[in-house]
Amino acid sequence: MIYLDSAATSLQKPQSVKWAVSKAINTMASPGRGSHHPAMLAADCVYDCRERLAEYFNVSNSENVIFTFNATHALNIAIKSIVKEGDNVAITGYEHNAVVRPLNYIGANVYIASSPLFRPEAIIESFREILPYCSCAICTHVSNVFGYILPIYEISKLCEQFGVPLIIDASQSAGIIPFDFDALNVAFAAMPGHKGLLGPQGTGVLLCNHETTPLICGGTGGDSMLEFMPEYLPDRLEAGTHNVTGVAGLNEGLKFIMSKPKTTILNHESWLSSNFIAGASTIPQLKLFTSDNTECQSGVVSVICEKMSCEELSYRLGRAGICTRAGLHCAPLAHKTAGTIDTGTVRFSFSPFNNITEVDMAIRILKKIIDEA
Amino acid sequence: MLQYLLICKSLTYAQRASRMLERRGITATVTKAPNLTGVNGCGYCIKLSEKNLTKAIKALNESKLGPTKIFVLQGNGTANEVFL
Repeated sequence: MIYLDSAATSLQKPQSVKWAVSKAINTMASPGRGSHHPAMLAADCVYDCRERLAEYFNVSNSENVIFTFNATHALNIAIKSIVKEGDNVAITGYEHNAVVRPLNYIGANVYIASSPLFRPEAIIESFREILPYCSCAICTHVSNVFGYILPIYEISKLCEQFGVPLIIDASQSAGIIPFDFDALNVAFAAMPGHKGLLGPQGTGVLLCNHETTPLICGGTGGDSMLEFMPEYLPDRLEAGTHNVTGVAGLNEGLKFIMSKPKTTILNHESWLSSNFIAGASTIPQLKLFTSDNTECQSGVVSVICEKMSCEELSYRLGRAGICTRAGLHCAPLAHKTAGTIDTGTVRFSFSPFNNITEVDMAIRILKKIIDEA
Repeated sequence: MLQYLLICKSLTYAQRASRMLERRGITATVTKAPNLTGVNGCGYCIKLSEKNLTKAIKALNESKLGPTKIFVLQGNGTANEVFL
């Protein structure tokens, strides 16, 4: 099996992640409840991971690093902390439903900073036009469909200029494309723990630099006499029992990432996707969505095939042992922007654990499937 | 030797404070705070020895991790607030 669906979730993880999960499930209780050894082990584990995340993303106070259950949970906290009904919100044309649906649920007026794929200067101009009318902006760092790397530093400077708080969706970049949260000076950055950060499912992270509104209210283990959620972080946003086994695994995933020079994983994934693009470009029936500028594209590539639907292609690839995802990828807006809303795409997404042999094999199988169709 | 309890804002703060003190050679154990008046219940504190108290308070204040309250632990397990 060749797993090329890391944009959905990382399947291959460092061995240390699996050991950490196993160890946690056998030895760790719940932090912030008892003060016995298993509870304090859990507390130390959660604290260690929080500190490590703060170091990796350059967050000056680790209390501003919040554990969530996935990026969607993190985005909902961020969005509902800032946006109210009737607010004007600027988003890119590549946002995931985890951004679009909460905005629609709240009743915000959504303004799309429209721009073609892989044209960062166009999206900056588009934001410049609509930001004066908006009270919040949301921007994905990397499109989960097309791997388009958006210019978040330039967009954040613009937002700062207009006094508009910015939320970054780092779902496809966290752990792959390093970014400096303090330097970005955005309101929030949301990310899953189970994709580029190589942790287990059921983990997510929200980096905070803005007032927050709890999404879930409940016990936090401390200040129990208070009948409202505490004002201080992280407790304010972490009601209920932590996913300690998940955080233990996430901590190891992060250690793995931090053991390498910062751009190693991005360089590796970009190299794999470049080779994939080079090979897939020789198949005439395939249309690829790629950038001439490799700095605009991550290890995520979408294709459509003239000979069959994307679902059929993905199914046949799956039967041949190549794991991909087909359809709209929970991002219909991205497909509307790129003109693929009627077809969807087949998405190939790479991880640090893929290698060039797998890319070559995937190309050979792709050619065979298309030739035999 | 007496033991002191430095009440912290939250578990995370208690952990941060404890780690900082340990790095400075002060043994500081994170533990649950007794259910005391003026504390909102289920708090966390750092327990340390009387000999380290002054040095610890100074270090915590410098790091903006100063305790919200300080209690001295009596031999019978009760705690009385102290004001420095």
